[in-house]
Amino acid sequence: MKGLIGSIYRRSIVIVAVLLAWTIVPLFIKHMFMPSLIDVLSALVKMLETGEMADHILSSLARAGAGVVISVVLALPLGVLLGWYPKIEAYLNPLFTALRNTSILALLPLFVLFLGVGEISKVAVIVFGCFFPMLLSTIDGVKNVDPVLIQSARSMGISPFGLLSKVVVPAAMGFIISGFRLVCSISLLVLVGAEMLGAKSGLGFLIYRYEQSFQVPKMYAGILVMIVLGILVNWLIGKLERRLTIWQSVTDKETA
Amino acid sequence: MGILVKDLELNYRSRGRRNKLHDFQALKDVGLEVHDGEFLSLVGPSGCGKSTFLFLLAGLIRKTNGCVEIDGEPIDGPGLDRGILMQQYALFPWRTVQKNVEFCLEIKGVRREERSVIAARFIDLVGLRAFSHAYPNALSGGMKQRIAIARALAYDPKILLMDEPFAAVDEQTREFLHEEVLRIWKATKKTIVFVTHSIDEAVYLSDRIAVMSGSPGQVKEVIDVDLPRPRLKGITKSTPEFAAIRLKVWNILQEAGGSSGLKLEELIEDSAGL
Ligand SMILES: Nc1ncnc2c1ncn2[C@@H]1O[C@H](COP(=O)(O)OP(=O)(O)O)[C@@H](O)[C@H]1O
Ligand SMILES: [Mg+2]
Repeated sequence: MKGLIGSIYRRSIVIVAVLLAWTIVPLFIKHMFMPSLIDVLSALVKMLETGEMADHILSSLARAGAGVVISVVLALPLGVLLGWYPKIEAYLNPLFTALRNTSILALLPLFVLFLGVGEISKVAVIVFGCFFPMLLSTIDGVKNVDPVLIQSARSMGISPFGLLSKVVVPAAMGFIISGFRLVCSISLLVLVGAEMLGAKSGLGFLIYRYEQSFQVPKMYAGILVMIVLGILVNWLIGKLERRLTIWQSVTDKETA
Repeated sequence: MGILVKDLELNYRSRGRRNKLHDFQALKDVGLEVHDGEFLSLVGPSGCGKSTFLFLLAGLIRKTNGCVEIDGEPIDGPGLDRGILMQQYALFPWRTVQKNVEFCLEIKGVRREERSVIAARFIDLVGLRAFSHAYPNALSGGMKQRIAIARALAYDPKILLMDEPFAAVDEQTREFLHEEVLRIWKATKKTIVFVTHSIDEAVYLSDRIAVMSGSPGQVKEVIDVDLPRPRLKGITKSTPEFAAIRLKVWNILQEAGGSSGLKLEELIEDSAGL
């Protein structure tokens, strides 16, 4: 119990200190761009009451969610195939590397040019940002599957599809989940950028608009929500990860 | 089921420097017959091609030349008439013990209820019922190997191929597993091909021992182990007959020249453990 309290203390003390400073310091040193946390929170409460914040959160989450889902659905099977057939992968690898290292937002104008300013171009740019990290993690995972497991399954006369679905993908799950974690944080990063560069809704749009109109507490409220969202997503993925890799951490205790 | 191997040759093809292909002859002119229901051990220095030979029998790699038949049928890929146990256990870590044992039944499309009944039977056979719902990571090496045995037995292969199955467990566990294997062999009447680098282990367990020599791998000689069964732990190993057979195997290995994997000290150490 003492350890638990100590751990909570260690993990939260710095954050609490920052929040406290944010509350107190602006009361003494007044600056237009540095409102106190109290002002920010009251702006946030107002925005929540009017439903404004919820609308923006939802439209942001919808875009990010759609982008993540589409990129995973595309990248996972392709990654499994390319990891399984390294000869094809050898040809494509330079292209992947080049595309992965391109700033995604640099390509946004291109997407707008081809797909217009609507939702499609925003989701597309998120898909583009998420696809390659997911693909490369999956390829890595598949390449790192212990060959002994594959031989063992093959010795039982498993079909090629069975081998991929029952052995290769579960064995690669660690890499796949880290890819997924990465992709989720990328999706939020790209999302906000895309929303700032042209959108009528979403958290990025909200932050940008209130910055432009000097409604600074509301701008900070948007940033705060963004941060909380990031933490929440990370926490959820952590839970998912523990669920899917429960076998890694088990000890004899759980066998009874 | 009997195995017949004649003039077997296997080349590994690999890419060396400057991406050049070159062949490495791992097995040459291998001839061997394994009788139905027999316990045959394969001993030889490391690198002489024991695993390669076993993988060939399992259908995991293809021969270059020669003849490998099971009951008169040439081997063409893996099949459920053969089960192979790898030295590294090769359990699926994300599956519980029960689900590991069910794996092959799942592939075969056996119904769920039937699967769990069969799996439970073989988990019982290896004495690990209490661990049915554990994950392999929570088990010791010896337990993992027993689960691997249960998994291989679950689909009822006629032939069990075992690649140095007990090399990675401690001495006491190994002796225990010897009794287990002999008990299971007696109960299930499988044909067993057992690879080991321990002469003692081979003599204690087998009906016959095929001694291999390396580069390229060949079966040098096959020796009958005419020790009475049941073999008795602690007694069989201290008989003069046991010592005589062990010496015979050892001499052949020496003659073969490929003693890199089997040293005199090791033999003495093995004997000291009696
Ligand atoms: N996949 C492979 N490619 C090329 N050479 C191999 C391969 N597997 C094994 N060899 C070589 O074949 C020989 C026999 O190996 P192996 O069958 O593993 O021996 P053992 O099991 O008796 O120790 C060794 O010299 C090894 O280096
Ligand atoms: Mg070997």
